[in-house]
Amino acid sequence: MMLPMFSLIRREFIRWIRAPTWVISGLMSPILYLLLFGQAFDLGKLLPPGTPASALSSALSGAPDYFSYFAVGMVAFASVTAAMFSGTGIIFDKQLGILQRILSTPISRRSVFLSSLTFRGILTLIPAFLVVGFALLLAHVPNVAGLTVGSGVSVLDAADFLVAALVLSVAFTALFLSFGFAAQRIESYFGVVTILQLPILLTSNAMYPVSIMPSWLQYIVSVNPISLAVNVMRMSLFGTAGYPYSVAVYLAGLVGWAALFVGLALLLASRALRTDVAPNRGSALSQAIADS
Amino acid sequence: MSGMTASPTSAPESQRTVIEVQDLRMVYPVPKAGAAPTVAVDGVSFQVRRGEIFGFLGPNGAGKTTTISILTTLLKPSSGSARVDGVDVLAHPHEVRRKLGLVFQRSTADEELTGRENMTIQAGLYGQSGSRVDGRITDLLTQMDLGPVGNRLVKTYSGGMRRRLELAVGMVHNPKLLFLDEPTLGLDPQGRAGFWSYIRSLREKEGITVFMTTHYLDEADQLCDRIAVIDHGKIIALGTPKELKDSIGGDTLEVSVAASAGDLTPLVSTLPGVVGVSHREDTYRLKCSNGERLVPEVVLASERAGIPVREVKVIRPTLDEVFLELTGHAYREEGGIPSPESLADGNGRSERGGRP
Repeated sequence: MMLPMFSLIRREFIRWIRAPTWVISGLMSPILYLLLFGQAFDLGKLLPPGTPASALSSALSGAPDYFSYFAVGMVAFASVTAAMFSGTGIIFDKQLGILQRILSTPISRRSVFLSSLTFRGILTLIPAFLVVGFALLLAHVPNVAGLTVGSGVSVLDAADFLVAALVLSVAFTALFLSFGFAAQRIESYFGVVTILQLPILLTSNAMYPVSIMPSWLQYIVSVNPISLAVNVMRMSLFGTAGYPYSVAVYLAGLVGWAALFVGLALLLASRALRTDVAPNRGSALSQAIADS
Repeated sequence: MSGMTASPTSAPESQRTVIEVQDLRMVYPVPKAGAAPTVAVDGVSFQVRRGEIFGFLGPNGAGKTTTISILTTLLKPSSGSARVDGVDVLAHPHEVRRKLGLVFQRSTADEELTGRENMTIQAGLYGQSGSRVDGRITDLLTQMDLGPVGNRLVKTYSGGMRRRLELAVGMVHNPKLLFLDEPTLGLDPQGRAGFWSYIRSLREKEGITVFMTTHYLDEADQLCDRIAVIDHGKIIALGTPKELKDSIGGDTLEVSVAASAGDLTPLVSTLPGVVGVSHREDTYRLKCSNGERLVPEVVLASERAGIPVREVKVIRPTLDEVFLELTGHAYREEGGIPSPESLADGNGRSERGGRP
């Protein structure tokens, strides 16, 4: 039965189309990073004059210039930032009693969870594509750095890029969705999410090459899901030279993270959505009953 | 609990009974170590018959919302059993959910959507879509006098419109059984009386059975066919509003006669139905089972004896008195008009004494 799930997605879509402000605010950080940080912080300019372009390119794992390298990182960052809002809808639904009404209908609990993950996952992908388009556009503006892509990008490479972006979106959508199922208040939700945002970004290779980091940081960075996705994306756009592992290995690692986060979200969702237990255990229902 | 359940003879019990509750208990876990567990529902049994409006009347905290949550599969009881249309709510909650419509205490419609969109999506949750559903939504919106505002966002609705939309949303999938949890909470007296007529018209047009909770005495009295009075998790009386009122001794007839015309007591105390007579000066109070029918006989008897009657008043017992009689404490409805605080979050008072 797809109709109940589709109905919930439709509801979220109508809500979003009438107030798409959250996606715009989710886009703000990556766009500002591209427009200001990316323009100013050109690592290539720090190299002594006369350094061959190939030396820079190899330090940037094949990217032609620092901005192109950085822009791909911002694509991943845009997804993560947009995913930060994934859990908000479910908190409002809990607080307003809408979730309780939904649970009194015959819709399966799994459909409630999957509709959120599907819709929010798609919503999370949109900023990633917008950032790619924006960065490519910047390359055509005079005196502004933009994303330059090699001519050898095949359809298969593009597919790798898309898959990495999709799996990353699913992973972080699931992670933040699980916080939404667990949290009772929007304040506590954003408290946790904003604490996580910068460490997740700064322990990745989105902004700077792993090679210039101290070794202890390198270990953390190499397993960060953003790094794994960014590796695949950069390999698909700039070539695979200089990477110790293949695209498949990085993708597998990323899928592992996604599976972990989806599992966590499923666990917390099933706790929040259950109606077969006595309340008072932090479920959405017990809260609703305590409130009424 | 006073046994007022009439013995059915015409139809088999299974067809007449829509809700059957046996010894339901709900004990909430201990919120803090050392505190006593809260017994919200304490061994409740009752039956709801097909086509009736059955009211659960009790003050806040009596266990009403807990009971309705169990019957609508949103809560698992500690013990006891409940069947809705023959289906066990514990064994087959999914099937039970298909059968019932539920209207919550507070508005649960999506504010950012129109009334019609809310209904379409609710129908979709029951797996229903298409032109037949669209037609039904139009019918229901018209029936609830929401036709002109069906395509407006819910956030522009008034309080009364929101309540009516909740009713329409709860009915969209054509349930034969409708649960209403404090349906008129937060409405002014006029709005409440209006809302009752919508419930009555739904019952007539759709042939549904209604199970509702209320803490308004007048609402239970005027809207419900039968009432279960619940206090501290126990049903203390069950019957029609009239039966309940009769159970505490029926009516009082207040007869005023001309000054010093003679003693009325021996004349009226032997009339059929009179159970007691008291008087103060020239005003007599007759406790009786059916006041109205007694009026002509009292007047006739006193006129015959040459005692002119000046005034006769039939005083009906109210549910207020019933409650006082049964519990020994006055009904605490909290004034009938909810406080601003309780308007803000639905009910304001915890259904069970304390929050976790």
